[in-house]
Amino acid sequence: MQRRWLKRLALPLFGLLVFAAPTLLGGSGAVYSAAVLIAIFAVMAYGLDVIVSDLGEVSLAHPVFFAVGSYTTAWLSTRAGLGSWATLAATIVVALLFAAAIGLVTLRLREFVFSLVTYAVGVVAITVASNWAFLGGSDGIRGIPLLDLSVGGLQLSARNDRELWPYAFALLAVTVYLIDRFRRSLLGAAAIMVHLNPRLATMAGTDPARVRLQVFLFSAPISAAAGWLYAYQRAYVSADVLENYFLILMLTAVVLIGRRQLLGPLIATAMVLVQEKFFSLGGNVDKIVLGAVLIVILGFFPQGLMGLLQPLRRLLQRGR
Amino acid sequence: MNLTQQLINGLVLGHAYALVAIGWTLLLGVARLVNFGHGQMYMLGAFVTWWAVVKAGVPYALALPIAMAIGALFGLLMQRVMLKATFEQNLVSIMIMTLGFGYVLQGGAALVFGSTGQILDTALSRSEIKLGELWLTQQDLAIVLVAIAVFVGLKWLLDGTRIGRLVRMVAEDPKLAQLAGVNVRRVYYGVFAFEGAAVAFAAGMVAPRTPILTSMGFEEVIMTFVVVVLGGIGSVTGSYVAGVALGLFTALFGALVSPAYTTAACFLVLIAVLVLRPGGLGAGSTAGVH
Repeated sequence: MQRRWLKRLALPLFGLLVFAAPTLLGGSGAVYSAAVLIAIFAVMAYGLDVIVSDLGEVSLAHPVFFAVGSYTTAWLSTRAGLGSWATLAATIVVALLFAAAIGLVTLRLREFVFSLVTYAVGVVAITVASNWAFLGGSDGIRGIPLLDLSVGGLQLSARNDRELWPYAFALLAVTVYLIDRFRRSLLGAAAIMVHLNPRLATMAGTDPARVRLQVFLFSAPISAAAGWLYAYQRAYVSADVLENYFLILMLTAVVLIGRRQLLGPLIATAMVLVQEKFFSLGGNVDKIVLGAVLIVILGFFPQGLMGLLQPLRRLLQRGR
Repeated sequence: MNLTQQLINGLVLGHAYALVAIGWTLLLGVARLVNFGHGQMYMLGAFVTWWAVVKAGVPYALALPIAMAIGALFGLLMQRVMLKATFEQNLVSIMIMTLGFGYVLQGGAALVFGSTGQILDTALSRSEIKLGELWLTQQDLAIVLVAIAVFVGLKWLLDGTRIGRLVRMVAEDPKLAQLAGVNVRRVYYGVFAFEGAAVAFAAGMVAPRTPILTSMGFEEVIMTFVVVVLGGIGSVTGSYVAGVALGLFTALFGALVSPAYTTAACFLVLIAVLVLRPGGLGAGSTAGVH
């Protein structure tokens, strides 16, 4: 009984700790901007997490969903003057359209052909974003207004990263909740079944193609919502939101701690960002570090860092 | 626009695409390995050749083998790290690891060679051949001839020699090949070393046509995808035909429509083929996995 109580309380307590973390760590401007970026990039990575960890496919198009969120927000807030709620809604709709298009085309492709095509989507997106005047071309879109989620008389706006943190945290909390619900849902169970044994899934009356498309549609708006907040945080958007960095960061976030660990992507993103923001060795060396972490984890610790803890846990249990 | 000139450009470009894709074609056909670091390995080959020629003053003919040796060594290193995943056919891990290798190469090359663009000039790329209105450089001619030679050579190696037979056995069924006494591990190392050397060689040949940047790998790889997938994954002859066809398409699209969107256009061609032949390429290509 007592343990179950502890388990139920653990997550909210951890959430409280995360929320207070920037203050506990000194509360300087740099700490708050790092915290906001960690939350944004973790949300971005959660979108990919369900595809890689649950569905067992490698989608390399998720940076595109992130960019779709950023560009939709930038375009609508600067050219059409829409508010933050409207841009969030538009972000989700546009991301769903993109996911449906990519998902339908790649529906029958599996494994590496699926990955090749999704990677190509990313490369095409970067050439289109940097050439198309409609999206600002190589200059991108500047002058994105501040985040303003005010409802009625309630003032909810953010002028800097310190004020942005509660919203970034809220987005992160909602995302973690959705991922948790997904893993407990029928769709989540179907995804695992399609991943591990597509034939069995078909015999059990599950259509693998349909499940894949549904999971794709579930995951894209999550990465796109991260892009939505990123646009407000940076105040401008250009084709560099499609850079390789975001793809590598997402993949590292998904595999570093271990697959299907609810808090894995968050902890991994935090580790990478803390290294880059506070212990940076220069941009190029940071690239080598990030790439090497990805390789070493997959090559030598395929269970992720959690795999390293397994023997320890077994030891503790034996001692009891 | 002169149509004949564009056709010549297309042929040169096509042979360049085919040459760049040859290493991956074999890698995919034999070991079912997908290498997302291919573009960055191309970049490395180009920069090593540039460094050898411009900085170290090595003659071009010697710079190519140097680049190939470094490419092959890098290929062996990659295969060493990925060997376990290769035997398990753990494609998810392999694909992500090759992306990681590409990223490390990108950072490493920027560190060593600087992040400014460079021009790789060779004696061949400076001398032009003029036929009336038409022109091409000797480097262009060399690319076409060398690509044909490499494809013919590889085809002969695969179909006509003992090594080729072993490689084909491993491609067909690695476990059975192992039972028959084939050293599968050595074949895997071999194809990855070939991939590294071949892409470095291709880079040394093709890179003089364009400015070289340490960040170019991300986009460079996409033409190789299209060639490999259109060519019928793992087929040597198919890759050659797909490469040349893609080159002609790119040259004509760039001249007639828009040079900025050629990548996007090639991608649409790929999508069209995949959708028109659903199950054909996609499902057929994964039938042997697991």
